[in-house]
Amino acid sequence: MANQAKHAIEVENLTKRYGNLLAVNGISFTVRTGEVFAFLGPNGAGKSTTVEIIDMIRRPTSGKVRLLGMDVTKKKRAIVPRIGVLPQDFSSFDRITVRETLQFYSRLFSRGNADIDGLIELVHLKDKAEEQYKNLSGGLQQRLGIAIALVNDPEVVFLDEPTTGLDPRARREVWDVLLGLKEQGKTIFLTTHYMEEAEILADTVAIISKGKIIATGSPVELIENNSNYLVLTLQSVDANAVEIIRKLGFEPVHDNHQDLKVRVEHTEDILKTLNAIKDAGGSFLSLDVRRPNLEEVFLKLTGEALHAGLAEGGEVG
Amino acid sequence: MKLRVIRANLIVKLKTFYRERTAMFFTLAFPIILILVFGTIFLDRDKLSLDLYVQDLDHTQASAKFVKTLQFNGNFKIIEVDPATDAREYAQKHKLNLILVIPKDFGNLHDQRADNKTHDASVILTYIYDPSSTSVKTKMEYLNMEFAGMNQRMSGRPPFYRWEEVSILDQKYRFIEFFIPGVIAMAVMIASLFGTVNMNTELLQKGIIRKLSTTPITRTDWILSNILYQFALAIISTIAMLLVSYWVFHVELHINAWLLGFILLDVFAFVGIGMILTRFVQEAQSAVAAANAIVFPMMFLSGSFFPIEMMPGFLQTFARVLPLYYVNEGLRASMIFSDNLAALRYAAIIGAFAAVVFALGIIATKWEEGK
Repeated sequence: MANQAKHAIEVENLTKRYGNLLAVNGISFTVRTGEVFAFLGPNGAGKSTTVEIIDMIRRPTSGKVRLLGMDVTKKKRAIVPRIGVLPQDFSSFDRITVRETLQFYSRLFSRGNADIDGLIELVHLKDKAEEQYKNLSGGLQQRLGIAIALVNDPEVVFLDEPTTGLDPRARREVWDVLLGLKEQGKTIFLTTHYMEEAEILADTVAIISKGKIIATGSPVELIENNSNYLVLTLQSVDANAVEIIRKLGFEPVHDNHQDLKVRVEHTEDILKTLNAIKDAGGSFLSLDVRRPNLEEVFLKLTGEALHAGLAEGGEVG
Repeated sequence: MKLRVIRANLIVKLKTFYRERTAMFFTLAFPIILILVFGTIFLDRDKLSLDLYVQDLDHTQASAKFVKTLQFNGNFKIIEVDPATDAREYAQKHKLNLILVIPKDFGNLHDQRADNKTHDASVILTYIYDPSSTSVKTKMEYLNMEFAGMNQRMSGRPPFYRWEEVSILDQKYRFIEFFIPGVIAMAVMIASLFGTVNMNTELLQKGIIRKLSTTPITRTDWILSNILYQFALAIISTIAMLLVSYWVFHVELHINAWLLGFILLDVFAFVGIGMILTRFVQEAQSAVAAANAIVFPMMFLSGSFFPIEMMPGFLQTFARVLPLYYVNEGLRASMIFSDNLAALRYAAIIGAFAAVVFALGIIATKWEEGK
C-alpha cells in the first residue's frame, strides 16, 4: 500500500507491437504521486503509444502497467473515474459550447456538482464560455481539452502533447494552466517534444528514443550528468565557418534560429575556434558560451533532433 | 448501462442536430418536399382524365348533347376542333394521337333512332388517330366502352348481365396514401443509416471516440444513446410528414402502435448496418459512398414509391430480400389496411433482421484501439 501511495504509475517491461513495428521496446519506469513527469522524445519515439497504454486507450502487447495501484488491463472501470486524459490531437463536438461540453463530460463522470465555472476560470475561458467549439482557436481548444481532463477532479492527469501545433503565445497560456495544476499537487504525466516545456514544467523527465527510455532524471540531473562539455553559439556567422570549424575536428550544427552551435570540451577549444574563423577572414554578429541545455543533452544521447519532422504533423507512436 | 450517461449523450446529439442546418434540412424538410412533389404529381392519378379532341361537323343540339355526355362522365376533357379544318392535317400538324369526328347528319340520324322512326338508323363516328402512339389504343378503348354504354341505353332494354364492384378493402385508398408509408420508411432508413455513418466516422476521425473511451461511458451506453437519438429524430420527422400529408392531401391513414414499432425496427436495422459499415470503412467519404450503395437500390426497388408488382419478376424476387420492403409493407398493412396479422408477420421478419444486424453492429463497434 505504501508503494501505491508513493508511485501513481508503475511500468514494467512494457512492449507494444504494431505488426512488425516495435513501437515500445520493454520500457520500465515509475511516476511518483504528485510529480509532473515529462516523457520527452521526437515524433515516432513511442511517447503517445506508451501514454495511451497507461491511460487505457490501447492495450499492451506485453508487460505490466499499474495505475493508482491497479492493473490497467483489468481494472479500467475502477481507474477511469480517478484519471483525466487529454489525448493527442484532442477534438470535441463542433456545435456544442464550452460550458455545454464541460457539463456533458461532468455528467459522464456522474459529477452533477462539478464546478464548471471554476474550471472555466482555471483555463481562462470565461469570455468564451458560450462559444461553440468550432469557433475557438487552437489554443483555446487545447485549454478546453485540459478543462475536460480535470472535470472529474482526477488524481492523475495525462496530457499527450498539450501544446503541439500552438503558437508560442498560446503555448505559454497552456503552460500557465499546467503550472496552476502543479501547484494543486496533481500527478501529471506529460508527453512533449518541446524541451522548454519539459524544463519549465517537469519534476522528472524520461527521454525516449526508438521505443526505449535512454535517460531519466530531473532536468537539472540530466544536464549535470551529461554536460562534460561547453556549447559555443555563434550568431550570423559566415557560411564558410562551418568548414573551418570542421577542419579543427569539431562538428557544428545549425539550431532552429540558424545559429551555429559547436560542442567543445575545453575553454582553449573556444579560443582556437574563434581565432581560426578570424584568421580565415570570417565574421559573426555575437557569441555565447554556456553549459548545454536539455535539448543538447537529448541530441547527445539520441543523435536525433527533437523537432525533426515536426512540420509533418502528428506521430504514430 | 447508466441512464444519466445516455441522457447526457442524447442531449449533446440533439443540440448538435438543432444547430446543424444541413442535417435539419435532410432529416425534416427533404422527406416533406418529396411528399409534396410526388403527391402533387400523382394527385389526379386516381381520377383518370383523358384529353379528347372532337370535331363536331353537325353542330346540332343532339351532337352538342353527345359531346357533353362524353365530358360529364368524367373520363374525357373535351377540346373542340374547328369544323372548317381538315381533321387529319390538324392532327398531323399538332401531333395529336386522336380526333373524334362527329359527321354532318348526326342530329338527324339520332332523332330518327330516338323517335323509333327508323330502327336500324346508325351513325358512323370517325377516329382520326396516330397508330404509332402507345396511348391511343387505351383512349380508343375508353371511347368504345363509352359508346357501348350509350348504345345500350338507347336500346331501351335493361341489360342481362350486370355487375357490381366489391373491394376487399374497407375503403378505397389513394396513391398518396400508398406513398406516405413508403416515404416514412425511406426517410427513417436514410436518417438512421447516414446519421450513424456520418457521426461515427466524424467522431472516429476527430478522435472524440478515443477521448470518450477514457471516460466512464461504455460502448453499450454509447450505442443505446445513438439509437434513442435516431429514434427521436425519426419520430419528429414522421410527425412532420404526417402533418403535411393530412393538411395538404387530406390523407386517411391509421395511426397506431404499429407505426412506432416499425419506426423503431427501421431505426435498429439501419443503425446496425451503419455501425457495421463504419467498422470496415472508416474514411468518411468511403463510408458515405458505401451507405449510398445500400440506400439507392433500397429506395427504388423495395416498393417505397410504387408497388413492386409493377417491376419485372426477378426484381420482385430481389425486392423481397430487401429489409426496407418489409418496413414498407408492414407500415401499409397497419396504416392503410388495418391488417394486424400482416403487420405482425412483417414486423417479425424485419425484427429478426434488425436483431441480427444490430448484434453484429455492436460487435463491430470499436471502442478501444489496437488490441
